[in-house]
Amino acid sequence: MKYCKTCHVHYDTTLDHCMLCNGDLEHENDDVVTYKFSEYKKKNASRFFHRLFIFLNIVSILVSIYIDFLDGFPLTWSLVVSITNIYAVVMFILLAIPTIWTSKMTKSIIVTVGMLILIGLAIRNHSWALDYVFPFALMLNILLITILIIFNKKKWFDYFSSLSIVTIVGLVPGLLNLFGATQVTWPSVACFSYALVTLLGIIFLPSKASRDEFKRRFHI
Amino acid sequence: MSLKKQKYWYKLDNAGKIFPAVSQDERSNVFRLSFYLDEMVDSTLLEEAVNKVLPRFETFAVQLKNGLFWNYFASNTKHFEVEVEPAQVCKYFKAHDNKGYLFKVYYLDNKITLETFHAISDGAGAMHFLKSVVYNYYRLRGIKFDHENKILSELPYSKKESEDNFVSNYDKAKKKNLKEEKAYHFSGERFSNHWVLMMKLRIPTKDLIQLVKTKYQSTVTQFVTALLAYSIYSETVDFIGGKKPLKVFIPVNLRPYFDSVTLRNFSLYIKATFDAKRTDWTFENMLELTKLQFSDQLDKEKLQSRISSLVGFEKNPLIRILPLVLKTIAFKIGYNILGESISSCSISNLGIIDLPTGLEKKVIDADFVNAGYGIAMTLISLKNHTNIIMSSPLKDLSIMNYFIQFLVSEGLDITLDTNYKEGYDEIL
Repeated sequence: MKYCKTCHVHYDTTLDHCMLCNGDLEHENDDVVTYKFSEYKKKNASRFFHRLFIFLNIVSILVSIYIDFLDGFPLTWSLVVSITNIYAVVMFILLAIPTIWTSKMTKSIIVTVGMLILIGLAIRNHSWALDYVFPFALMLNILLITILIIFNKKKWFDYFSSLSIVTIVGLVPGLLNLFGATQVTWPSVACFSYALVTLLGIIFLPSKASRDEFKRRFHI
Repeated sequence: MSLKKQKYWYKLDNAGKIFPAVSQDERSNVFRLSFYLDEMVDSTLLEEAVNKVLPRFETFAVQLKNGLFWNYFASNTKHFEVEVEPAQVCKYFKAHDNKGYLFKVYYLDNKITLETFHAISDGAGAMHFLKSVVYNYYRLRGIKFDHENKILSELPYSKKESEDNFVSNYDKAKKKNLKEEKAYHFSGERFSNHWVLMMKLRIPTKDLIQLVKTKYQSTVTQFVTALLAYSIYSETVDFIGGKKPLKVFIPVNLRPYFDSVTLRNFSLYIKATFDAKRTDWTFENMLELTKLQFSDQLDKEKLQSRISSLVGFEKNPLIRILPLVLKTIAFKIGYNILGESISSCSISNLGIIDLPTGLEKKVIDADFVNAGYGIAMTLISLKNHTNIIMSSPLKDLSIMNYFIQFLVSEGLDITLDTNYKEGYDEIL
């Protein structure tokens, strides 16, 4: 044990100077004093590169829009660059957030499809994105999660959110087709039907476990 | 024989609902309980002890899940892993990196530490869990003591342990409007990388009680509340003459008031408020005011009225139908605007730790740390000494210094310990 003569307090740690007055501590007895915590090690600023990545993408957006703007409206190629930059940042954040990988996969597919549709709109030709990429990506996602659930029944609770979200989004291509927003019918109808069947399957599966899961997820 | 359930779920309790939305590196909402043993900790046995005890503590064996409208806790049966204690006290952690669990068990030399995310439990609940872990650790070591009905893992499970007592004590008729004015806040430079300074004062309990009972006719909590407030009043330069009052928040364990044995959150803040416009404060008149405010607020009717108001908020139909994503955004905005601004500092007294005789001989010391804004003070008593632990993210010792010097001048024998080390100034 150590002692500060000025502050009249004992110290049960390895300090040589009093924290209160900075005076020298005296040894009171031969008791061994120890530092009872893990020692702090200086860390590098790990987030610097994260911030740099986001900063460079913002710079890229501003520079490309400015250069494109010099040729006058409407903006053309700079929109594609900007959408890609925003996509890169969103994907970076999405992948950095710790969550189960099925959730990451579902979000990544939805964000990627969204990005492709925006690029389609930017180049004034979105048909390929909305007619083909959108429904096929969603069908693939539903299929992958369904397979996961079949082969890993114990963890189906973990995949439930992803499957619910992707099946609800899977109804959108059919609705878009209904309102004339897409030109090719069969991929949208196929996606809508597949999503609807899956959704009905989730709701009406005669399993107590699924009903309980609904109760938890939707408790209000 | 205990029947181990594997599929259960809980709604988050009223106090816990906000924490998942607002917690981050600089506001972890994690508190620490540590036991120092009379021997080096065997990490393998510790891990075994935690996994042995976990199924008995349903409210700890959970993972946080997202529902459409609210978060909820689902059962978690994964194997729990203990870790070496990190340098940062009450460190924010991501449940995803902790097998979904919302608590951490650390070991370091002879110390076992439980750090709990406030969404699952409060100090009283977490203490039951730590006591059970340490008791079972010794059993696995081959040392057996009589549990003397003080170790929950050795007692039959009761559904009441998992009850949300905020909801069970909700009375719609007793709701009242809860309005909080903003409080004085400390300003100053922070330690880097969210490091929090911890200063531990070890005081003989008998001497402390004698002082507060005979000289000041108060309780220990009232005494330290007034003394902390007086230290802030004496040592800060921007409080006096300001508009915002000094508000010390003191969480009260509601279990004795409402006959509860829950392991989930069941505490509510009372507060001691001191006017900034008054310039003639003395320690004595601060203590008198503290006593008055305590006796006024520690009234079962008033506490139930506040519980009802808080639960009434979450029962509001407009709040309930708001999707979780929007609720999270609203909680974040609301907490940033109001959350921390209504309190200046906090004091939490866990009281005397009641251990079985055999275990009491093995546990030589205990810590209770609550890292918060400004200064967070905690008290915990074990055997014949009381530890007053002050923690702060700010590089300022003046208030702590005043507090300590006051106690020394009252003749108390104080032994200090800290997580600070010479040389930290250069890296923190």
